[in-house]
Amino acid sequence: MTYTQEIQNKARELLGGGQVEVVIGYEVGPRGRTRPAFVYDPQDVERLVWNQACTHNLTTYLNDHLKPKHPEKKQGANSEARRVAVVVKACDSRAINVLLAENRFERQQLHVIGVACEGILEDAGQAGNERSAHQLVTNDPPQYQARCRHCNERTPLVYDTLIGKPESHLGTGPNPARPDAYQRLQTMTPAERAEFWLSQFDRCIRCYACRQACPMCDCPTCLYERDDSLWVGMGIGLNEKRAFHLGRAFHLAGRCVGCNECERVCPMDIPISLLNRRLAQEVEAAFGHRAGIAPVPAPFVTVLSNPGG
Amino acid sequence: MKLTTHEELSSWLDSLAENLNLIAPRAVDGVPLYRPVQHSQEVLWDFTRPVLSVKEAFFPATERLLTIEKGNRQIRLIESLSEEPQVVFGVRPCDARGVKMLDALFTAAPGDPYYARRRANTTLVGLACREMGPTCFCTSMGGSPDDASNMDVMLYPIEEGYLVQAVTSKGQALLDNYALQSREHSTGQAEQKTAFVYEQAEKYPLPERSAWAAQFEDAYWDQVAERCLSCRICAYVCPTCRCFDVRDEALPEAMSNASPSGNGSSQFERIRCWDSCTGEAYRRIAGGHNPRAEKGQRLRNRFLCKFDYYPRQYALGSAACTGCGRCIDACPVNIDITEVMQHIAEVSQC
Amino acid sequence: MLAISERKNGANPMVPYLGKLVKVKDLAAEIKLFSVEMLDGGREAFSQYYPGQFAFLSAFGVGEAPFGIASTPERGPILDFAVNRLGSVTSELHLLGEGDIVGVRGPLGNCFPMDEFKGKDLIVLGGGIGGAPLRPVIHSVLDNREDYGDLTILWAARHPSLLVFSDEYEQWRSAPGTRLHLTVDQPDDLWDHNVGLITELLEKVSPSPKNAISITCGPPVMIYYASKLLEKLGFKAEQNYVTLEARMHCGIGKCGRCNLGEKLVCVDGPVFSMAEVGGLRESFL
Repeated sequence: MTYTQEIQNKARELLGGGQVEVVIGYEVGPRGRTRPAFVYDPQDVERLVWNQACTHNLTTYLNDHLKPKHPEKKQGANSEARRVAVVVKACDSRAINVLLAENRFERQQLHVIGVACEGILEDAGQAGNERSAHQLVTNDPPQYQARCRHCNERTPLVYDTLIGKPESHLGTGPNPARPDAYQRLQTMTPAERAEFWLSQFDRCIRCYACRQACPMCDCPTCLYERDDSLWVGMGIGLNEKRAFHLGRAFHLAGRCVGCNECERVCPMDIPISLLNRRLAQEVEAAFGHRAGIAPVPAPFVTVLSNPGG
Repeated sequence: MKLTTHEELSSWLDSLAENLNLIAPRAVDGVPLYRPVQHSQEVLWDFTRPVLSVKEAFFPATERLLTIEKGNRQIRLIESLSEEPQVVFGVRPCDARGVKMLDALFTAAPGDPYYARRRANTTLVGLACREMGPTCFCTSMGGSPDDASNMDVMLYPIEEGYLVQAVTSKGQALLDNYALQSREHSTGQAEQKTAFVYEQAEKYPLPERSAWAAQFEDAYWDQVAERCLSCRICAYVCPTCRCFDVRDEALPEAMSNASPSGNGSSQFERIRCWDSCTGEAYRRIAGGHNPRAEKGQRLRNRFLCKFDYYPRQYALGSAACTGCGRCIDACPVNIDITEVMQHIAEVSQC
Repeated sequence: MLAISERKNGANPMVPYLGKLVKVKDLAAEIKLFSVEMLDGGREAFSQYYPGQFAFLSAFGVGEAPFGIASTPERGPILDFAVNRLGSVTSELHLLGEGDIVGVRGPLGNCFPMDEFKGKDLIVLGGGIGGAPLRPVIHSVLDNREDYGDLTILWAARHPSLLVFSDEYEQWRSAPGTRLHLTVDQPDDLWDHNVGLITELLEKVSPSPKNAISITCGPPVMIYYASKLLEKLGFKAEQNYVTLEARMHCGIGKCGRCNLGEKLVCVDGPVFSMAEVGGLRESFL
């Protein structure tokens, strides 16, 4: 049975049995692009697929879908707490651990369909197999995404249903024809790095797609978008953009799981995941913490405990 | 029409770049964008279209409206209008069509002088597309990849070089003042121009304007919006979207007498910058009420505005979508405007 | 006190005129009434405006926000604005005092068709600060009393401390052919008028729709229920007028933000008849 068939069968079972109200997975649209799918009806499960373009981190939809129907009642014992199923790769599954650690929802509200992913292609999310409008014509064979090339765990860390067998590390390693941008950055002097990043941020249009795609960026009102913000101006200027990107990277330190969706969605091809990756390295070195390996908060995230218990 | 070679055209561009602001498609870290160029060698030639539209030249992402000098019980306002003449080269016909719609909007009384001044100071030099990209659908929206309307000069790439057409007197002046070398083209000019064959997989149905509002209650909007990230890219890359936000911001230069509220700075600028109705906070008002709190409501507004409200409000005579396809390329979750058009067309027939 | 407005092009609709606050008065809890004397070119710009129109007030350094003009030019050159402290601009405005300079951009929007109202009975419903844009309607009617029929004013707030323009109620009551009904949701110890929602009051008063016009302004949910009730009382949609608010940034039909369906509140409104907006699927709620 293909992964697609397994996912469809599971979805049919969960929806048919009323165990979840929706299965959040992937489908292929009329242009041949893979995209998120929300399946409510067991008759519809044939929409669901698995392929090497399943790049989206579907956990970003969980906060909204698991919001209590009756917010005035407490979560947990709430028998009306919503339940959803979500299809995740290993990187996405770590996001679930981070969200659980931050009390976004309860574990029993999820049926996690984990897929032992074999890697996601670099032009996933683009129109069919064609290059996006903003890729210059090159003759490279299809590449895996950077996050896949240095992926350490291919089996999801959180799952209720596991699809696929854990296999050996995908690791194609850095492609010598295209040296890893991360390595290049580490060899730069601070002045060179500053110049690099300012030139990248220059074309940022502050659309906030990076933030919106991220499961961990879920503040009710983003600091950088507050109407009364005295911290960062509203303008789409270099100072503001630098503050936004660097600030966001710090807000995600110890929380970012490296799914790199922020970078994939950027219409200006700004390699922002490099910032997150560096900070993740720093956090691991200083605290021995990797985001999402277990449902524990990052060591320097303040947790307010409920005085009631 | 005259014929010019690639070398002569490049030479002309060099001359323009030396004397005024020349904006042309350039690869910025591989991303094609309309950007200032200093030399024709920086110009990008072989690609479908820039990621952002040409609207930036008239309606920049951030623009200063006023400078505000604030002292003790004294206020001085200085408006800030652009003076620089500029030429945009390599304008795609879909973008020029978008400019025409923005013209209708910004010049509708009372006219917006910021847009008007930039527009008056700009000459548009268009370049016809040799072929349509995989997500292009301008021919479904009343446009065409070789449409010269709204350009000042139009260039058609052919084997021997480019056919040059002066569309307006402003365009003719640009050709004359900077002496673009050219010669009469020997073979039938009309035939050459229409030698482009725009093969296209599909032509998309464009529903009547009234069909859109009729689907206001359709559950379709919520269904499509489920995967929407409210990321706002669609509005930012769109040639006709023009929503903006206005606010005062402190200027770092003069930090002197405290204003009555204790804010240390005495110099401010009133700026406007791009915004999008798909953003969550778009219609939130002070006090927290948000009439478009749901993604489906916002997405519905975006499409209804594009196909019904905007054309009606500014008497466009066509939908406010130019079929450039940027939103299709850019949407991270493949919300596809052509699929929406097809859905509306289908349900309107029932 | 010096204020200079330097404008190369006097007709730039995005640049405010300057005005001086000549009086700042507490109107209700968190609501102040700003009385503004226009300076320079603003004097002419505001020499003529009509009930229902609005203007943007600038708290320079923070930004601008739209407010209904709560005065009429017939009663003098001073402009009145009722400002409820809710967000960043209004909070900054509330810190200002007499003598301070503000920006005033306008007059903007359409107005109540007062000419069409002549000879008719008017029912005015004001909820909370929604009373502010209705005050010039009341003033116009009182200043031209014979041109209009009966005037019935229903004025409401959540609490007596939130009722606006209470110092004028005697004036309104004592005018010929004019009745004032007050109501609050939550009374205090001194309250001896009606208690309840404005819709309940409206049902009690039960005005006749014959040759009548209703004008409502208040929170969106009040406008909605009041118009449903007016319909029940026999008022046709064309007889019911409302003035709506929406978040605005330009006020001149460019920034796109204030749309209700195909209508822009800043140029097609803020005054609408329910015949125009009642059928709009996009709710202003």
